[in-house]
This record gives sequence, C-alpha cells and structure tokens, in this order.
Amino acid sequence: MDEKELKNIAHLAKLNIEDKEVSSMLNDFSRIVQYVDEIKNLDTTSVGDDEIYEQIFYELRKDLAENALKRDDLAKIAPAYENGYVVVPKVIET
Amino acid sequence: MKDLIYLTYSEIKTKLNDGSLKSTDLVSAYIKRIETADSKVKAFLEFNKEQILKQATESDERRKSGKLFSEFDGIPIGIKDNICITGQITSCSSRILENFRSPYDASVIQKLKDKGFVLFPRLNMDEFAMGSSTENSAFQTTRNPFDTNRIPGGSSGGSAAAVAASMLPVSLGSDTGGSIRQPAALCGIWGLKPTYGRVSRYGLIAYASSLDQIGPFSNDLQGISDLMEIISGLDHKDQTTAKVAAFEANSVSSIDWKGKRIGVMKSEDFSFSPDVNKRYAEILKTLESKGATLVPLDFSLLKYAIPVYYLIATAECSSNLSRFDGIRYGLRKDGAGKLEDLYSESRTAGFGPEVKRRILLGTFSLSSGYYDAYYGKAQKARVLIRKQYAEFFKKVDIIFQPTSPTTAFKVGEKTKDPIQMYQADILTTSVNLAGVPAISCPAGLDSTGLPIGLQITSSHFDESKLLSYAKSVSELEVCKLTLPTEIA
Repeated sequence: MDEKELKNIAHLAKLNIEDKEVSSMLNDFSRIVQYVDEIKNLDTTSVGDDEIYEQIFYELRKDLAENALKRDDLAKIAPAYENGYVVVPKVIET
Repeated sequence: MKDLIYLTYSEIKTKLNDGSLKSTDLVSAYIKRIETADSKVKAFLEFNKEQILKQATESDERRKSGKLFSEFDGIPIGIKDNICITGQITSCSSRILENFRSPYDASVIQKLKDKGFVLFPRLNMDEFAMGSSTENSAFQTTRNPFDTNRIPGGSSGGSAAAVAASMLPVSLGSDTGGSIRQPAALCGIWGLKPTYGRVSRYGLIAYASSLDQIGPFSNDLQGISDLMEIISGLDHKDQTTAKVAAFEANSVSSIDWKGKRIGVMKSEDFSFSPDVNKRYAEILKTLESKGATLVPLDFSLLKYAIPVYYLIATAECSSNLSRFDGIRYGLRKDGAGKLEDLYSESRTAGFGPEVKRRILLGTFSLSSGYYDAYYGKAQKARVLIRKQYAEFFKKVDIIFQPTSPTTAFKVGEKTKDPIQMYQADILTTSVNLAGVPAISCPAGLDSTGLPIGLQITSSHFDESKLLSYAKSVSELEVCKLTLPTEIA
C-alpha cells in the first residue's frame, strides 16, 4: 500500500485524506492489512462458492397496503421543507 | 428499606405488580441517581426528564384504572443511541447524525411501547458501534462504574455502564462482534447476543447487517429472559428474522450439572490475564465437582475469527455507511457547489477516525483486484467457522469461555493501536460469524475489584438451553458480585 493507492481507496469511499494524515493512515492501514493477511494461511478449498449463503428462513410478507410515514411528520424532522417537498442540494450536474 | 435504585429487575417487576411500588417513584429515584452519578459515568448522551416522567405517570394511571398494557408496565429501560425512536435524535454517537430525528420506531421499540415500558434514551456508544471501549464516541467517553479511570467496554458501553451504575435495571444494546457481551463482562452485569434472526433489526441503524443483533442487558437474569421473549420474533419489516418457535421466558430453569458435557478451552490456550485464567479454571473445577464432564475443544480455527470479522464487517459497513452522503441525512458541508466535494467533505467532517479506517478497509477488500483474496476468502473462512461450531455442538451440550481476555483496561490505554483494540474481541467475534447465541454472565471480581465475565454459547435458536445454563451459573458462589454503590 502506498500513498497513491490509499488516496484511490479514499476517493472510492468519498473520504478526503489531508497530506498531514497520510503517513499515520498508511502506517495504520498497512498494519491492519498485514494483520488480516493471516487468513491467507487458512485452507478454504473445501468450501464451495454456494456455501457462503447461510441457511435462511425467509418468509415473504403479504402484499397489503399499510400506513406509511405521514407527510406532516416528515416535514417536522426534515432539515428543510418547502411546499410539500424536502429540500436537498442540487444532485444533477450539467 | 433498600434504596429503590438498588432493586434488581425481578424485585422491581414484583413490586410494581403487587402495588408496593409506583413507576413514578422508581423513575424519580433513577433520575436523581443519573443527575448525581452520570457526571462521572457519562453513560447518557441526552435524557429528557419530563418525557421520562410523563411515561411513568401514564403507566401509574393505567395501573390505577386497571388498564395495564402488561406485567411489564412501568419498568424503566435504557436505549442505545443506534435504535430509532419516533421523534427522537438517533445519532449513533456520530457527528454525521448529530441532529437526525427518526420518523419511525424500531420494531423492538414498538414492542416495548406496547408493553408499557418507560424508555430512557439515549445511551452512549462507540461511533456506529465500531469499537470495544466507547472511546470512539464523537461526544464523550463513558467510564466504568467500578473504576471511572477505566473503560466500560464497547460498543454498547453506555447501555452497560447505566445498568452497572444502578441508573437503570435493564437496557438494550446491539452486538456485531461482541458489543453487548464484552461491556456486560467488564461492567459485571448480564448481556445477551441472541441468535442471528431472532430479533428484528428494523430501526437499528446498520453497521454490518449479516452480524448485527439487538439484545438486552440486565442486573439479573430474569430481565434477560423477559426482554428476550418481548423483543424476539418474526418481523415482516426485517426479512432476515427467522420463522422459528418463539422463545418463552418460562422455559428457563436451572439444570442439573450431572452428566452435562461442557465444551471448554484447553489449558494451554488460556492466554488471558492471570486473574481471568484463574477464575475460568475455578469455575470449570466447580462444574466438574458438580458432576459435569469437561470436553476440551480445539479452538485453533478461531484465531482467524478477528481477521475474518474485520474483513466482513468493514465490507458491509463501507456499503451501509455510503448512505450518509450529506444529501439526505445529518451533517452537510457545501463542497463549494460541487456535488462530489459535497459528498466527501460532509463524510470527512462527519465520521471519526475509526469509522474512516473501517470504511477504507471495507472499500479496499471489496475493490477490484483484492476482492477474491480478502472479502471472498473471508466469506469462505466464515463458512468454516460456522461448521466448526456445528461440529462442537455434536460433541458438547454447551460451550463455556471467558468473555474478555482481560478485565476493564484504562481509558486511553489502547486507543493508539487499533490492532490491540481489536484483540479485545478475540473470544466474542466468532459467535457473530457463526450466528449462534451467547450470553455474558457475571463471574465475580478480580484481585483489584474489577468484574470478570463468563461467556456461554449454545447452538442456533437454543436460547432456552443457553439461559438455563446461565441461571445455574448465577447460583454459583464463585460467580457472585455486587454492583458498586459509590461511583469513584
């Protein structure tokens, strides 16, 4: 792991790393990766790809209409609310 | 008469129902205790006196008019700050959710309200439940009531410390890798992680969805059994809840140790602190003297549990926490008008160092070129761990281990070294990976007066057996301890 790789991972995770944090983060991160690397010593060839899905007990719910959240209640907790809409920043860039 | 705050959960339940105790008197006593003791313990992020007293008054009125919701009506319960309650802030002890108010109740909260419990939100935790000491809270470090220079364990440190400091009889926490059992052990109380799928996660703010479970803390075992019955069950709002026979609190009864096969660690694997080693050996000797058969199990595979846990939990957290983008929830930085910058600046300002570390590790193990070697490999290793437990339960009835390798460590002792902190969970994470239930039972004090915890693990959905063994453990003299009255 080097600075370039760390910054790429941070970019994918939408986190900024300041230059002064780079060396301590690289150090922590390398140690953690080295630590989890231990699993490479474990032989997992006996495990099939399909086995990673645990036994499940799913039961589908009935397709019934239920009361959803009320608009007035949502208006009270929204950071900004106007004319029946929650106001958010512009998320489409042109 | 015993001060109300030192009553056990069972005593409270009995007194409320025989009319010798009013919920308002009990709740007022707890409020007074919180007002004096919590300046030292710092278990509560917030508590609203008027709102809490109003619930207690309503409960007393229901009782007076004979319209009780249940036999639990009026019992106070603390709530960890990652379980949603309508209209309340649910911050996960994070800046990014500092002002987030939930528009709905978690399923467990709805169940508690239906029974008439008096809810005491909001108990401190490691940010997004990531930590083993409650030092990762963005707001305050909770202290251990037995010694306030020490940590209470984590991540549900506030929930554990509030009960241990006699500020509440019971509380709810969540356990992803040990976050109920480890603080229960370090604070000298009971804490249960139910089988994965037993309790609905609807309204629990997700950290690692395939591992998270909500569970109870209590100052006696009856509180654990009762809460388990109340909060568990199939929930159509959480598709991972299981359709299995309901757990019933009255199915719990003491066992006869004679002939029971108890899975234990080999003595050469006792690499814990001397006091923990000693107490564990004493307990095993006691059980043997009562006729139980000790069966040493090979736990060597479980040395991989922490690496496997950190790869799987962080991968899931990097995905779960991607929803915190500054657009829809909590903290928002303006990003100088650029969307990408708004995301990254909001997240960078909103998350603390440990959360960032885990998001980065998770993003790394899921990224192109590393997926098979890390995340994929960890998933397969998890299968081996699950199979290992299945093998264990062919040989033994139950497994006994210490909950934590040490008693409570000092505040600041492990914060500089993430790996050392991760090691605190060495005995608890494999239980979450396998999905089986486990409880931490108080197991007396060490030579310096700090609590030791005993972890009991059973097979999937066998909480009745698990709690029956726990009940018998509660009767052992070697496991007795008293919670502190003075907080220093």
